[in-house]
Amino acid sequence: MGTGAACVHFEEILNAELLFLTGTNSTDAHPIVAQKISRALDRGCKLIVADPRRIAFADRANVYLPLRPGSNVPLLNGIAHVIVREGLYNKEFVENYVDNFEAYQHYILSEWDLGRVSRYTGIKPYLIEQAAIMYATSKRALILWGLGLSEHRSGSYGAMAAANLATLCGFWGKPGCGAMPLRGQNNVQGACDMGGLPYVLPGYQSYKDDGVRMRFKEVWKEDLPVVDGKTLPTMLRDALAGKFKALYAMGYDVAMSHGNLGEVWRALSNLEFLVVQDIFMPLSGKYAHVVLPSACVYEKSGTYTNGERRVQFFEKAVNPPGDAKPDWLIITELARKLGFSWNYTSSSEVALEIGKVWQGWGGINHSRLKERGIQWPCLDEDHPGTSILFTTGFPKGKVHLALAKHVPPLEEPNEAFTFTLVTVRNLEHYNIGSMTRRSSSLLNLYPEPLVDINPDDAERLGILEGAKVRVWNNRGEVFYRARLDKRVPKGLVFTDFHFVDALTNLLVSPGLDELMETPEYKVSVVNIEPV
Amino acid sequence: MIRVRINDRELNANPGDLLLEIARREGIYIPSLCYLKNGSVPEKPCGLCVVKVAGEGIVRSCSYKVEREIEVSTEDPEVNAIRKKILEGLVSNHYGDCKAPCHTPCPGGLNIQGYIGFIAKGDFKASLALIKERLPLPASVGRVCPRFCEPVCRRALVDEAVAINNLKRFVADYCMENGELPLEVPPLNGKKVAIVGGGPAGLSAAYFLRLEGFEVTIFDREKEAGGLLRYGIPAFKLPKDVVKKEVEGILNLGVEFQGGKIWGRDFSLKDLKEAGYGAVLLAIGARKEKLYGFEGEGLAESALKFLLDFGRGEVDNKAYTKKRIGILGCSYTAIELARVLRRLDCEVEVIYPRSRTEVSVPLREIGYAEREGVKFTYVTAPLKLIKGGGFHLTLAKTTLSEKRELKILPETAFEREYDLVFRAWGELPSDEFKAFGDIEAKLELNPDGTIKINSQTMQTSEPWIFAAGDFVHGAKTVIQAVASGRRAANMIASYLESKPFERAAVTVKFDFSRGKRAEEFDSNFLDLFVPSERMHLKEREPVERVRDFEEVLIGFTEEEAFKEANRCLKCGCLGIHKCDFREILIKEDVGVAKSRKKMKYAIQKDHPLIEVDSNKCVACSKCVRSCPYSAIFFSVVNKGTPQEVITFRFTEACVNCGACVDVCPTGALTKKELLIPYSRNQSKPVKSVCTFCGVGCNLTVWVKNGTILEVTGRDLPPNRGYTCVKGRFGWEFYKSKDRLTQPLLRKSINDDFRAVSWEEALDYVAENLLKIRDKYGPEALGFLCSARTSNEENFLMQKLARTIFKTNNVDCPARV
Repeated sequence: MGTGAACVHFEEILNAELLFLTGTNSTDAHPIVAQKISRALDRGCKLIVADPRRIAFADRANVYLPLRPGSNVPLLNGIAHVIVREGLYNKEFVENYVDNFEAYQHYILSEWDLGRVSRYTGIKPYLIEQAAIMYATSKRALILWGLGLSEHRSGSYGAMAAANLATLCGFWGKPGCGAMPLRGQNNVQGACDMGGLPYVLPGYQSYKDDGVRMRFKEVWKEDLPVVDGKTLPTMLRDALAGKFKALYAMGYDVAMSHGNLGEVWRALSNLEFLVVQDIFMPLSGKYAHVVLPSACVYEKSGTYTNGERRVQFFEKAVNPPGDAKPDWLIITELARKLGFSWNYTSSSEVALEIGKVWQGWGGINHSRLKERGIQWPCLDEDHPGTSILFTTGFPKGKVHLALAKHVPPLEEPNEAFTFTLVTVRNLEHYNIGSMTRRSSSLLNLYPEPLVDINPDDAERLGILEGAKVRVWNNRGEVFYRARLDKRVPKGLVFTDFHFVDALTNLLVSPGLDELMETPEYKVSVVNIEPV
Repeated sequence: MIRVRINDRELNANPGDLLLEIARREGIYIPSLCYLKNGSVPEKPCGLCVVKVAGEGIVRSCSYKVEREIEVSTEDPEVNAIRKKILEGLVSNHYGDCKAPCHTPCPGGLNIQGYIGFIAKGDFKASLALIKERLPLPASVGRVCPRFCEPVCRRALVDEAVAINNLKRFVADYCMENGELPLEVPPLNGKKVAIVGGGPAGLSAAYFLRLEGFEVTIFDREKEAGGLLRYGIPAFKLPKDVVKKEVEGILNLGVEFQGGKIWGRDFSLKDLKEAGYGAVLLAIGARKEKLYGFEGEGLAESALKFLLDFGRGEVDNKAYTKKRIGILGCSYTAIELARVLRRLDCEVEVIYPRSRTEVSVPLREIGYAEREGVKFTYVTAPLKLIKGGGFHLTLAKTTLSEKRELKILPETAFEREYDLVFRAWGELPSDEFKAFGDIEAKLELNPDGTIKINSQTMQTSEPWIFAAGDFVHGAKTVIQAVASGRRAANMIASYLESKPFERAAVTVKFDFSRGKRAEEFDSNFLDLFVPSERMHLKEREPVERVRDFEEVLIGFTEEEAFKEANRCLKCGCLGIHKCDFREILIKEDVGVAKSRKKMKYAIQKDHPLIEVDSNKCVACSKCVRSCPYSAIFFSVVNKGTPQEVITFRFTEACVNCGACVDVCPTGALTKKELLIPYSRNQSKPVKSVCTFCGVGCNLTVWVKNGTILEVTGRDLPPNRGYTCVKGRFGWEFYKSKDRLTQPLLRKSINDDFRAVSWEEALDYVAENLLKIRDKYGPEALGFLCSARTSNEENFLMQKLARTIFKTNNVDCPARV
């Protein structure tokens, strides 16, 4: 609804009458959410699962929709088609709160008949009808999605298509209802909230708005730029073209975590100046001129915002090693070197400043967070925070039904490359693994990179359980051990990107989300063979 | 609202509230081992939460819902009797060691299993920090300690005791080389303490007092601090630079040292009082020589005086070289003197009236001396000493009377000639201070002439004057002096802050033990361990070492230390920090003498992260009831009886989240990665948030001495105490050797990095970013925020981009 955050909190999972999981394997990626889902199911909650891989929750689903990778928009639009066609949508809600219904109705009915949907998704129409009816006729339904929905060329449209379902049925602003994108990383929500995005200022405020800029100027005493910012993929493209010269990367190992790494590496080596600031030497360090050592979570105080907008305080437990410093202090000292009189002496002073430029943080300060977190928006010192958004209406008056467009994946399996590679996360590791590989308990549980393959495919290719395999395409080759898993459909292979000696992202497609430029981590063509 | 009366307290409650919850809310103690907030009820409740409700009788408060006004007693005799009976049943089924056997005899009270555990994890600095919590002179003690702990080490029943003291020496030496974890030194609190005597007791007291914020001055007769460590113990046993560094470490915390100040000559207690010292600690050691009492004893030289002079460098070595020496007595002083004289090429004989097995020093010390060529003559006493050209000594053999008193056999008398004879019978505290001033004269003495102190408070008869170390108890070991100094420091702190003197609770009665003596020990337990040879320190060749004063014993290498530390059997319970069972036994005063002495269940080690010891299970089934994955198979038959049989096993559904460990109220379930027995009230719970996925689980990080011990879930939304395997077990990365610790810089990516100062690094960053902005414009720069850094840090990063570089080229990992 404008911001990439859950409109409810995780506990609402327990209040739902139906859960719709699409592109999320929370068992591995968000285990505590998975626990809540499990509890809800134990209490009789219904479940729809859409995922190419037969994930653990598929076993408990009332309807399981094994869609082809990259066909989320057709599937969700197909469900919408049934809801609109059968008149199952919430007419009262649509009338009062929804904008653009006519155009949407026309688009959905004319373009997304189930025959077409079925061709894209590989799912039989009756299953889609079952799912649609079950969803629309439930009293409280909650959609949860993860990166399986977002990391596609049509990732943003996928999110819109999912939100549209909730809008059609009026599942907003009530307990157990709504849409919940599950954020992958612990403070990705906060990084976005804080204006760590090229198109908005902190609190998703537009720098194109004169009033907003003036408000910031009152606090910051500086004019703000109005030229459109560049996303990282654009920066990298421009670096390759020689137009972009210097990058300062804090706690973000671009050279390992980005898709299509070969091109990323070429772009980074084309920079005139690269600064990396991290707790371990990142892969990007290879291209860096300066490496700044920073303190990790246990060595400083501050706040993180989780996927339910909950701002939570963490306290310093131990001292940083050697000369390492908290990131806020490094940036503050750099600002002073640059001739600006920044004089923050603690992160709590910064927190107060955030509240001054963004009303949503108006009532948030560290002393209030010592005991428990607060969900933004929190307007002032007495405001309790907001666990459910849109209980009293919508920020722009009405909810807009966007026409979610389908953009097929950039790559389709072909004669040369017969497998589709999907990158996923494992329970024991996190992201690029720099922290989890260095925690002995976790490394012992999951010590080396594995690729999951359907047993029939494996047999055909002569790949045995635990065998060393080579996975390759035009962009590179990576070696794994094979794990035979009948949950993986034929023609697909699944693996992670947690290990330095198996840089899966080398293989990832150059495709980007049309709107947000998220790399298409979920669909890349590869071949696989035993070594 | 309903009014509930518990033990004469009027409380308000809502209808339907659980009685146990009401009491706990109000801080009223009701024990329970099986109660869980999630509403689950065990098949067979522990029954400890019984209370008496007037008119209804005994009820279980964990399942009693308040519906009307009631009167409750939690401490009724009937209630207590029921609890006691249940607890006795549990005790009789419990088999384990609350504390490791090595812990008990250590005068310093060191957490031995803990510091060995840190070594086994390769965390040497944390190991030293744990030692220094109670012992500020580890490198010295690691060389001279008589090792009260090693004789009781359980490992000896498998093969040989763990080399505990050598491990302590290893971490102390390692940290001297590689630095220690920083200590937090508080600002001065304005209160001053004078310490008379800068030996181990005085230095230890100074260390602990300074860490409590007191301004400490040490007065010592010698030029340098260290006492016997520096001046008495020879360098081949305790190198001078080791003592120097260790003493400097203490003084550098901000402790003033005034050397060359002699009590009674340069100052009196009255002077100290007038100078504003609120308390004085007397720790001048024991320097009065013991005498044996034979004719001509006065003609012998004093061994102590010689060693002290030698330590100060005031001995003319030539005067002693190549002499024939007789040393009377077999104290530490005697053996150390003998070994010094061997290095002056003397022929040395130590004469001791009793047998070899009766000497008060460890036999290994005698071994070192023997290998260096010192001759020992036992069961021989001096009768008479005459000085002529040399010394003429008359000796006689001894025997023991039936009362085991020493008896000289005059008929065996024989003669010996020496160039020099030393007496070294040991040392006693002196009482000559009585003459030093008015206040001194008032200090009371014990009948034996030692200073009289209150053994609890360490106070002398003057409440502001404390005494510690050898001065109080006569010549003992360094570790005993340290322990005494530390206790005195605590007492002085309490005294100066007008707090009641702390008295450590005696909990021995509640310490379960697998067996104190070897013969009562269940050997089935020992069968769990594979023999592995003890690591020995390398000893320099005797022929070589008697030519110099270099250290004789060479410390462990890292690999040896690591290997040796892994020999520890981890006897002490690694769940003691979370043991509600023990707490309840202490509160209900139920001793554990009748605990089981035989192992009933094999310890299960097959789970990758969790060790299961059903011998410590109280069958509360909390683990089963809090497992979100139904991953535990558990059954108990004949609960609470001697025929009790517990079956516990993890099923395939287990995802290693560790919820069961945190909830287990005993050491039945423990984390394999936690090797440090600790107590929760001596560690700091720090509020934290998981650094991995976007759920944002609330965690408690348990910290002690600047090191994280473990991580547990915190009972807050969204996770309500639960975590995944990463949250509980994925924290060790912070102390990985791979951490970046210095800014690195290079001009070109083809060069190697060089470590630079922050100043240089940030100058370079600023200069280059500005240069590129000026050359290509702000659009050529980009700034990346992080999904791991805090909101505040991300806020500042984009503020830097937007306000200083005037660009919106800001992005974050929202796309990965």
